[in-house]
Amino acid sequence: MNVNGNGIITEKLSSFHLSVLVFMTQFGVVIFALPQMLSKTFGTNGWVMLPAYGIMVILNLLLVGAVYRLGNGRSIFAILEQAIPRVLLMPLYLFLVAVWAMLGCLVAKQYVLIFQMIAFPTTNPMLFKLVMDMLLIWLMLKGLYNISKAATLFFWFSVWMILLVFFFYGEFKFSRLTPFILKGGEGGLRDYVGIFAAFLGYELSILTFQYTDAKTKFLRSTIYGSLLTTVFYTYICFVAFGFFSFQQLNKMLYPILDLMAFIRFPFIERLENLFYGFFLFTVLLTVVMYLWSAKEACQRIVPKIKEGVLAPAIVLTAYVMAFFPETLSEVQAWLQVFSELECIIAMGLPMLLLLVLGLTRKKASGT
Amino acid sequence: MMKASAKLLPALVLAVVMTGCGDQRVLEKLGFSQTSSYDIADHDLTEFAVSIPRAEPQAQTKREVLSAVAPSGKEARIKLARQTNLLLVSGQLRNTLFSVAIARNGMEKLLDTLVRDPSVSPRLKISIVNGNAKKLLEKEYKQHPVTGKYIDGLLEKEAIGRTIPLTTLYSFTRDLYDDGIDPVAPVLKDEGDHIKIDGIGLFRDDRYMTKIPPSEGLVFAFLRGSFKQGEVSVHLTEEKNSAKSAIMFSSILSRRSVKVRRDASGTPSIHYHIKMKGAVLEYTGNASLAEDSEREQIERQVAKELTRRGEAIIKHMQQNRVDSLGMGIAVRNRMSYAAWKKLNWPEVYPEVKATCSFNVLINNIGKVE
Repeated sequence: MNVNGNGIITEKLSSFHLSVLVFMTQFGVVIFALPQMLSKTFGTNGWVMLPAYGIMVILNLLLVGAVYRLGNGRSIFAILEQAIPRVLLMPLYLFLVAVWAMLGCLVAKQYVLIFQMIAFPTTNPMLFKLVMDMLLIWLMLKGLYNISKAATLFFWFSVWMILLVFFFYGEFKFSRLTPFILKGGEGGLRDYVGIFAAFLGYELSILTFQYTDAKTKFLRSTIYGSLLTTVFYTYICFVAFGFFSFQQLNKMLYPILDLMAFIRFPFIERLENLFYGFFLFTVLLTVVMYLWSAKEACQRIVPKIKEGVLAPAIVLTAYVMAFFPETLSEVQAWLQVFSELECIIAMGLPMLLLLVLGLTRKKASGT
Repeated sequence: MMKASAKLLPALVLAVVMTGCGDQRVLEKLGFSQTSSYDIADHDLTEFAVSIPRAEPQAQTKREVLSAVAPSGKEARIKLARQTNLLLVSGQLRNTLFSVAIARNGMEKLLDTLVRDPSVSPRLKISIVNGNAKKLLEKEYKQHPVTGKYIDGLLEKEAIGRTIPLTTLYSFTRDLYDDGIDPVAPVLKDEGDHIKIDGIGLFRDDRYMTKIPPSEGLVFAFLRGSFKQGEVSVHLTEEKNSAKSAIMFSSILSRRSVKVRRDASGTPSIHYHIKMKGAVLEYTGNASLAEDSEREQIERQVAKELTRRGEAIIKHMQQNRVDSLGMGIAVRNRMSYAAWKKLNWPEVYPEVKATCSFNVLINNIGKVE
């Protein structure tokens, strides 16, 4: 427990909580389309690319870790504002707020639209989103420590679903995987980035600096969290590649939905709606982390406005923005654009911070 | 903070409750399609029929069969929805029957509606009807449960016994799109007062081409993969006095291995070797199964006979250019990607040298010698 500048006691994230938080932010609804994205982009056995993505995430996290180390765990805003005049930082902050808030709202809308497709075809999706957004406001207002506690709870609520993969062992065939590695794919750079979007979420750990201490083992915990995501993604996609034939996979938009529909218990079948419901937990965490990050950045622009006003304002704005993309394909097109921007932030922001830290150090040692 | 929460709570409750007003599903008002059928009608139209079990106590019949003719399956569904007071839903659809005539024209278009609709289960069973599918579905079989259930039970039971493969929407589309195997589906036939399994339908891509008689179902299963459970009857001709006898195996355990060889010109040849173990439940010949030497001779005879039957099936499939065993998968998986793409498998397939051999082991002979 620590006392910050305002005299308020802030609890620090434990190492496990941080790992879970990173995992829950990363893992999301993209998994439903991931096997198809992989097979279309990389071709046969596209799942082998996932560990490569995982390594890229770790490299990126090393950058974040370097910022953490060099900045002595100071918040990134403090580092930036120490070297650059606030006025110059405003456009950057605005950009961060816009991208994070939009990503949050789009991820939520995507989840809701898929839910609508499989379960409630004529209910207004925005009504669902309204309910979700109210939960989000409450979570956001509680602060990061409580979000991470919720993340841990949600983690246990949803992580058991990985056991469902056992159901597919019966129809899984190694011969269906084919011995061809990455043949027949026709993806371009945008598709590669599109798959990387499935891993996004880890970069938000850059905002958690001041909620950590030495015991959190920041770098190690975030890497563990991202590794768990990579392992889960790889495992699920590997099974999907041996369960469906390659050309079949290319034709399916949501192979994992079909996988879940395949599950049958002796007493009940067609449980995919229920299982899909459990994914709400991971989606909720992804969304809340993006919106919370947007709020953190926004607070730097308008420090005078209270958190209790800012959080609902951001959620409301995001809600209004979510009206614009109406169909699932529109949402996906928007998501593609914003995740591309987010990739730039994920790589660019730590580099900018390292640059700033390097320059201020030189200055300090120079005088 | 508490105040904000207190204000939000009623709003949340309202929103949650209101969400329930849309998309209501009241059990009594729903017609759960259980079995559907597709037949060919005049002028490129499809006749679509659906059987819906009725659960209300005042209902006169146990089920309702509706049918309509339209250019597409879903359009027909809209048409026949006008004939019933129930809201038709397909979440409980268990079986779909296609007449041989419609299956000959290709299934892909018809399956599109089933694959696309998220409410249709990937476990939906697909079968072919030798004759008119709608008539089979409409008919009441007095000694048996309601027709839809009857078909479902029959298919499931026979699939466990391996006389037919269990063909679901998932497995059919999976094999359809795989470039090394063609799909298969069981064939049903109306036999007066019961339905019988009429064999295994073999497809070339999505078109029904030919079938294997039901008696060869298990031999086909031997060639298609390893399995447990199943029964097969083999007719033997004794070498000494050419007397005919029959032997029946039960509780079969079968393991298949595939060998692919390529000659100098690169043409592949395939050999299936099947190791089969089973218990003898019936034997009408004169040899004594308890005698090691005689039993081994019988085992060899059975193996020879099964090899003959297996190779006949392979020949039949090659003549009809249907790769229902997935020889393409075996060949593909032993090639480079470029070589596989260069090899025009559907063209090469009929010319490939494919053989099989059996190894039979009687693991028990029952209670008598």
